[in-house]
Amino acid sequence: MKFGGCPILTPAQQLLFLQRSEVFPGLGTLAGNKLTWRCDRRPTGLSRLYKVRLTYVGGETPDVIVEDPDLPLLAGGEKLPHVYSDRPTRLCLYLPGNKEWEPHQRFDQTLLPWTDLWLTYFEDWLARGCTDWQGGGEHPDENENASRRERRRFEAKYGRRRR
Amino acid sequence: MRDGSLGCSSQINDLHLRKVQTYGFLDRVCQQLDLTLTQYEEAKSRYEAVGTWLADAEDPLLRTSVIYAQGSTAIGTNVKPVGSNEHDVDLISLLPDGSTNMEPAAVKRVVGDRLRANGRYRDIMSEKQRCWRINYANEFHLDITPAIPNPACRNGGELVPDKTLKCWKPSNPKGFRDKFNERAKLVPALLLEKAQRGVTASDSTVEPFPVKSGAKGVLHRTTQVLKRHRDIDFERLDKSLAPLSIIITQLASKSYEYCIRHFAFDNELDLLVHTIKFMPLFIEKREIGGRTHYFILNETTTGENFAEKWNDEPQRAAAFYRWHRKAEADFARLIETEGLDELTAELKDSLGEGLVKRALDAQTGTLSAARTAGRLSVAAGIGLTTAAAAKATAMPRNTFFGRREQ
Repeated sequence: MKFGGCPILTPAQQLLFLQRSEVFPGLGTLAGNKLTWRCDRRPTGLSRLYKVRLTYVGGETPDVIVEDPDLPLLAGGEKLPHVYSDRPTRLCLYLPGNKEWEPHQRFDQTLLPWTDLWLTYFEDWLARGCTDWQGGGEHPDENENASRRERRRFEAKYGRRRR
Repeated sequence: MRDGSLGCSSQINDLHLRKVQTYGFLDRVCQQLDLTLTQYEEAKSRYEAVGTWLADAEDPLLRTSVIYAQGSTAIGTNVKPVGSNEHDVDLISLLPDGSTNMEPAAVKRVVGDRLRANGRYRDIMSEKQRCWRINYANEFHLDITPAIPNPACRNGGELVPDKTLKCWKPSNPKGFRDKFNERAKLVPALLLEKAQRGVTASDSTVEPFPVKSGAKGVLHRTTQVLKRHRDIDFERLDKSLAPLSIIITQLASKSYEYCIRHFAFDNELDLLVHTIKFMPLFIEKREIGGRTHYFILNETTTGENFAEKWNDEPQRAAAFYRWHRKAEADFARLIETEGLDELTAELKDSLGEGLVKRALDAQTGTLSAARTAGRLSVAAGIGLTTAAAAKATAMPRNTFFGRREQ
């Protein structure tokens, strides 16, 4: 299957790239069409150690979840910025339909670097008293129409997101 | 000091990286305390103008006078005062033709009269115990202390008025500055080796993010964080008991030399923490008449005891030791924090909220600028970095998105 001229990567192919990555070492499994990659991330020398799980079912959107520590707890009850859900903490790392991640792109070159970046801005956000996210981005709550448009565009391309 | 303990090499690497970057953050904090280059140049041109004005006087005593920076401005350890933008710039107006036959009060008056004769200074000057202050609001103030040569000092020392203006007391600002700078140039063997190899993290040839400015060394930064720690600590206490900057500076510089000569260090944070720890070793105590007398001597002249006041007011000594214990504990504890938020929370307590917030802004601002410029990558075993590395992945462009679960 091709995507915009580039062959899309299957979960098995993504797993191979992840296993070869020296930058994002971790442990992976493949069950049928579902890839799971677990890695420990410390995005900078000053950061905590985070347990991150990436899951991907071929043809759907990948999920990046922070399993440990409990981010809502660290945030002391404040709503987390740029997440799809607080628990499990599923990160919103890119704008769908904006050619940031597409199915022909490797996770170790997109979602995982963005996870490090997200976690770094997250600690900065905590340091500011859970306010003033410095990482930029878009919050659909702030721009409902644009987000609906994006989502429609996204769903037209990839199908409905599994909830 | 080197991590002697055994353990998983990645844990040792993590600890090392944390120490390197914790020091990097302290360095950023200190950059916020520094006189900016503009402020420094502005102050310099202002005090040089004062010097010219003094030397243009008719009075033969002033005609040969020279003005120069002393104290923290001379050695680069200025600390912006708490809640103000106005730096202290301490100056000496040396009158080479002055002699001990002259009354200190009279010499001070000669300088003051000449300053007052200038309309630019008249309205912004005020008299302090031993000096004249010219105040440039919201920028800095120049404190000008008159001095005369000290014929008894073999190191080119000077005499300055004592606080009663009744007699002269020995001092040697230039000698002090040179000794401090000499010590500041000492670099621990392992750090030197690291610098030569261009390596800042063990088993790696990559400079982790944030890249250190490296403009000022560990002794300067240790002195600055200690002075700031003192300023914040004594905010809630009797400020008149706060240890003098010159005492902190002298003890830090002697302890720094001691640490370098006795131990090996592979990161700046350990050097800073140990320098703080050993400071009290350099306070000399003598029992005189059943009472403890304290001596922190200026090594570059005879007869200048920075701790002179402790011997009249023993509560000053007690205040020093109490503050020092707290500073030692506060800086040693930094390495136990988890995450940028915990580190900054600790530092806000001990160094002040606004200051630490500005350092955080600077640090995260640098990260964001590198991200925008496409210079950010993730390196194996290091994390986010702006340096080129063999085992690294470039940070592609992204837009954090997000929907909240309602």
